[in-house]
Amino acid sequence: MVTRVAIASVLAATLAAAPVTTTAQGRGGQAAAVPTEPLSALAPENLAKSRPKAPFDLTGNWFVDTSAGPDAWRFGPPYPKLTAKAQKEYDTGMKSLKEGKVYKDDIGQCWPAGLPLIMTRYWPTAMIQLPTAIYMVSEFMNSFRTIFLDGRQHTDPDVVVRTFNGESIGRWEGTTLVVDTRHFRGDHHWMDQGGASIPAGEQLRIVERFRLLPGGKQLEVEYTMTDPENWVGEWKSTKRFNRVNDIDIHEVVCLPDLNDHLKSTSSKTQVQ
Amino acid sequence: MRKLFIASALILSVAASAYAHHSPAAFEAQKTVSLTGVIKEFRWQNPHTWIEIMVPNDKGEQVLWNVELTSPTYLVRAGWKSNTLKPGDKVTVVGRPLKSGEPGSAIFSSVTLADGTTLLERPARLGGAAK
Repeated sequence: MVTRVAIASVLAATLAAAPVTTTAQGRGGQAAAVPTEPLSALAPENLAKSRPKAPFDLTGNWFVDTSAGPDAWRFGPPYPKLTAKAQKEYDTGMKSLKEGKVYKDDIGQCWPAGLPLIMTRYWPTAMIQLPTAIYMVSEFMNSFRTIFLDGRQHTDPDVVVRTFNGESIGRWEGTTLVVDTRHFRGDHHWMDQGGASIPAGEQLRIVERFRLLPGGKQLEVEYTMTDPENWVGEWKSTKRFNRVNDIDIHEVVCLPDLNDHLKSTSSKTQVQ
Repeated sequence: MRKLFIASALILSVAASAYAHHSPAAFEAQKTVSLTGVIKEFRWQNPHTWIEIMVPNDKGEQVLWNVELTSPTYLVRAGWKSNTLKPGDKVTVVGRPLKSGEPGSAIFSSVTLADGTTLLERPARLGGAAK
């Protein structure tokens, strides 16, 4: 009996550890295609692959540069020409603002900020760069982002789980890191807060060009953002980030009791 | 001194939504309210700290005000500790009230302790008011 159990356990463990097969059996006996899993960005075999040396290493803590003024975190104005759908949201937001109200402040209700806003909160972002990926954690709500550098392609749209920070794939172009991010959540996701109520939709695509400035203490990121559901053409903005060596990030989460104590988040000024 | 204070409040009002989790648009941009009263609770936590202070109104009734501050990460760099404010402390908090006129809620600008020390929220390099 013990032997049978042991054999069954070994068999089960072996099956669980085996590579993903390319077909799966449906109820009617027909085979369904199953994608092959790529090597994890943290797999030793992936990390050990021969690659050109990265032109720079972003490992460190970064804080948006506010020397240009207190609005440096915003991605506009100027704003691109909005579609009718987005214009309606924008106009309603501006009307609310003039009335002293706040329109659809989802971040205030603990929804994630999402890209691009998560990059420019007045909170530091920790970045850890490996040959295969850059891992980012913003202190603001500990929002997590991965930029894959291992040559993989974007996930099949029919398979990917959409997220507020999207799926980022990076590649080196000379001394610039070019990052293409797609597959965003298109609900409760905004391009600004407390001002221009421009939605971010599922068609949002953000291309970032990262350049480490001479001296290595400042990072410049040029944003080119498209979302045909919400605006026409390219929305461009350039941000700078300062390396901060005397600050670490900590646990920051939006807990249910937080807003219970902040009367502003449930006041009459909130418009949903 | 008063001019300096108003300027600081203006800068903070614009920057606030980037470090608060919510929009600051609900709060007055320039109008401030001075709250002299007794600390009920000071919560040292992320992403916001907050102060609950009992303040007498015009009729002498005690009114609970909730004043929102930034995170301890920045308060520490502006000279704060978790016990800077303790229940029973008599202090004066200056903040910007809600535009709606609803009482009892404000976003923090400064606090003056019983010994006369005044504290702000964060250093300029981390998005605070420029000195």
